[in-house]
Amino acid sequence: MWEQQVAFWVLAVAMAAAAIGVVRSRNIVHAALFLVVVLAGAAAQYILLAAEFVAWVQVLIYIGAVVVLFLFGIMLTRAPMHDDAGALDNDQRWGGLVVALFVLGVLIALLVNAFGGKKIHFSNALVSLGRTSHVGTDIFRVFVVPFEVVSMLLLAALVGAVVLARKD
Amino acid sequence: MNPHVDFHAFAPEIVLTVTIVAVLIADLFTDDSKLPARIAALGVLGSLVPVLTLAVDGQTRSLFGGAFVVDPFSLVLTGFFLVAGYVTLLLSFDYIGEGDYYQGEFYVLLLTSLLGMIVISSARDLISIFVALETITIPTFVLAGWRKHDTKSNEASLKYFLIGVLSSAVMLYGMSLVFGLANSTVLVDIHKYASGHTPALFAVAVFLTLVGFAFKVSAVPFHFWAPDTYEGAPTPVTAFLSVASKAGGFVALLTIVRLGFFPSGNSWQPILWVLAAASMTLGNLAALRQTNIVRMLAYSSIAQGGFILVPLAVAGDVRGNAAWQAVVIYILIYGAMNLGAFAAVIAAARRTRSAEISRLAGFGRTNPAIAVMFSVFLFSLAGIPPLAGWFAKFVMFRAVFDANTTVAVVLGVIAAVNSVIAFFYYSGVVRRLWFDEPAAGVELSSPRLPVGLSAAMGLMTAVILVVGVYPQFFARLGEIAFQRG
Amino acid sequence: MTEFYRQYLSVAVLIGAAALMFGAMLGAGRLLRPNRPQPEKFITYEAGSDPVGGWGQSNVRYYVYALLFVMFDVEAVFIFPWAVNLKSLGVYGLIEMAVFIIVLTLGLVYAWRKGVLRWA
Repeated sequence: MWEQQVAFWVLAVAMAAAAIGVVRSRNIVHAALFLVVVLAGAAAQYILLAAEFVAWVQVLIYIGAVVVLFLFGIMLTRAPMHDDAGALDNDQRWGGLVVALFVLGVLIALLVNAFGGKKIHFSNALVSLGRTSHVGTDIFRVFVVPFEVVSMLLLAALVGAVVLARKD
Repeated sequence: MNPHVDFHAFAPEIVLTVTIVAVLIADLFTDDSKLPARIAALGVLGSLVPVLTLAVDGQTRSLFGGAFVVDPFSLVLTGFFLVAGYVTLLLSFDYIGEGDYYQGEFYVLLLTSLLGMIVISSARDLISIFVALETITIPTFVLAGWRKHDTKSNEASLKYFLIGVLSSAVMLYGMSLVFGLANSTVLVDIHKYASGHTPALFAVAVFLTLVGFAFKVSAVPFHFWAPDTYEGAPTPVTAFLSVASKAGGFVALLTIVRLGFFPSGNSWQPILWVLAAASMTLGNLAALRQTNIVRMLAYSSIAQGGFILVPLAVAGDVRGNAAWQAVVIYILIYGAMNLGAFAAVIAAARRTRSAEISRLAGFGRTNPAIAVMFSVFLFSLAGIPPLAGWFAKFVMFRAVFDANTTVAVVLGVIAAVNSVIAFFYYSGVVRRLWFDEPAAGVELSSPRLPVGLSAAMGLMTAVILVVGVYPQFFARLGEIAFQRG
Repeated sequence: MTEFYRQYLSVAVLIGAAALMFGAMLGAGRLLRPNRPQPEKFITYEAGSDPVGGWGQSNVRYYVYALLFVMFDVEAVFIFPWAVNLKSLGVYGLIEMAVFIIVLTLGLVYAWRKGVLRWA
C-alpha cells in the first residue's frame, strides 16, 4: 500500500504548510483561504481512511459553510483586508512555538505508544463502514436523541443570532 | 430493524420541545406579549408530569443500546432541572418584561437550554452528552448578552462564548481520543475498556475531557470567565448560569466519571482533587475581596463548585454510593440556595438600583422581608444549621470520612478551612444588611415586588428551612437516585 | 489499488488539472497586467454603491443570510443519510426526518416573520 503512504505524506505536508500559512499570513482573508486548504486536506485524509461520508461532510460543512461564515465575519469587522504588518501580531510567537512543540511532542509520543503497532487493513467492509448508508443507519437507529436535539439546537442558534443581528 | 421507541421515556423531552415550538409560534403570530411567558411556565410544569408518572412506574428504561437511559438518577435530576428552570422563569418575568427586551426569544432560548439539561440527565454516551452540553451552553451565550446596548453585557457574552467554544474543542478532542481507544461512545463500553490495561494516551484523553468540563463548571484554574460573565449578564440569566447550567456540567461529569472512567482511578482522581482544592481556596479568597454582590456570588459559586467536586474526587475510595449521593444532594441544595440568593439580589437591586454591597447597608431596616430571606440564603450557603446548607456540607464530609485515605483527609481539611473562610464574607453581607446605617438614596416606599420574584424567594426559603430541619427528604432522593430500578 | 481509491484517483486528477489551469491563467495575467496598487482597491464592493459606514465593512444583514445558509447546509448533511436509507427506515425514518425539518423550517419562518429577510 505504498500509494496510500505517498498520498498521505503529500497531503500531510501540504496541510502543514497551509496551516503555517494560516497563522503567518498578514492578510486575514488569505489566512481564511489557507484554512480552506487545510480543511480540504483533512477531507482528503478521510478519503484515504475510507471514511467517505465524513470526508464529504467536511467539504460541505467546513469548506462550504464555516469558511463562508469566516469571510462574512471578517467583512463585519474592521479587520484590514490588505497587508497590514503588525496589526494582527500579538507578539506571542516564541511562547506559541514552545507550547506548539510541546503539544506536538507529547501527542506524537502518546499516539505512537497507543497505536504505533496497529495497521488499518483495507477491505470492502471498511469502505462500506464509511459509506453514507451505514452512517445513516447509526444516526437514525442509535443516535436518535442527539439527532433531534440538534434540530432544536440549530433553531435556538438561529433565533439567538437573529436577535443579536437585529437593529431594533 | 428500526428500534422500538418508548414514548413514555421521552415524554418530558417531548413536552418541553412542544412548549418551545409553541412559545416561538405564540411570539410570531400573536400580539399578546405575556403569552410566550405563560406558555413557557405552563410547559415547564407540564414536563414535570411525565417525570412523576415515570417515577411512579419506577422501571429503568434503557433505549438505543444504552445510549439513553431513564432511571431514578435521571428522573431526580430532570425534576431538579425543571424546577430550577421554573424558578428562573419566575425571576425573569418582570425583569425581561420591564426591560423592553425580546420576550418570546428569551423564553425560547432559556427553554432550549433547559431541554439540553434534561437530556443530559438521561444521556449515557459521549455523543449524546456532548450534543446535550452544547444545547445547554449555546443558547446561554446569547442570553448572557441579552442587554445588547450594554457593553458589560456584550463583554459577558463574548468572554463566555470564547471560553465556551475553547472548552468544547478541548473536551471534544479528549472524547475523540477516548472513542479511538475504547472503540465505542457508550459509557458502559468505556467502563469495560477502562477496567483493563490502558495506554498513557487514555490518561491524556481523560485529562482533556475533564478540563473541558472544568471550564463548563468554572472550576479553578478554568474559572476566569465566570465573574465577568456573571456580572455583565442579566441577573436572572446569571442565576440560571450559576445554578442550572453549572449543575448540567456537574451531572455530565458525574455520569461520565461514574459510568465511564471509574475503573481507571489514577487518571481522573488526581485531576479532580486539584480542581476541588483550587476551586474552594481561590474562590473563597477572591470572594472575600469583592465589593459587588454579583461578583461575590460568582466567586462563591466557584467555591461551592469546589465543594461539589470534593466527593467526586474521593469517590474511588468510597464504598457504595455515598460519594455520588453527596454530589447529587449537594447539587440539589446548592440550586435552592443560589437561586434564592440571586432572587434576593434582584429584589434588593430593584430598591437600591445597584449591585454594590455597600449600598445594601441597613437594608434590613427598610426592607425587612427581603433582608430576612437574603440572610437565610447567605447563611445557608455558609452552611449554618438548621438551614439546608449544613446538610450539603455534612454529606460532603461524610464522603471524605468514608474514603478515609490520606489524600481524602487532606482534601477534607482544605474543605473545612474553606468553610470557615466562606463564613466571613457571607456573614459580612448579613452584617451590612442588619447592623449598618442605611445608605442615602435608597428608596423606602418603592413599588411592591413582582409576584414571581416574591414567590421564587418564598419557595426557596421554604425548601431551605424544610430540608435543613428534615434532611431525610433530600437524603432519600439521593438514595433513590442510585437505586437499581 | 482497490476500486475505491481508483475512483477517487480520478477526483484527484481533476483537482490537479483544475489547479494547474487556474494557476496558468492567473500566472499569465500576472505577467501581462500592469501593477498599480491603490487603497481604493481594498474597499468592499457592495452592489456598486458606497459601502456602509460605521464599524463594519459590510452590512450586518448579509450575516443573517449566511447563518440561514449554514443552518440549511447542516440540514442537508443529515438528509443524505436518510435519503439513502429511505426504504429500510420507512415510516419511522420519515417521522424522525419530518420533525427535524419542521423544527428547522420554523427557524426560517421566524426570520421571515421578524422581517430580517426583507431588504428595507
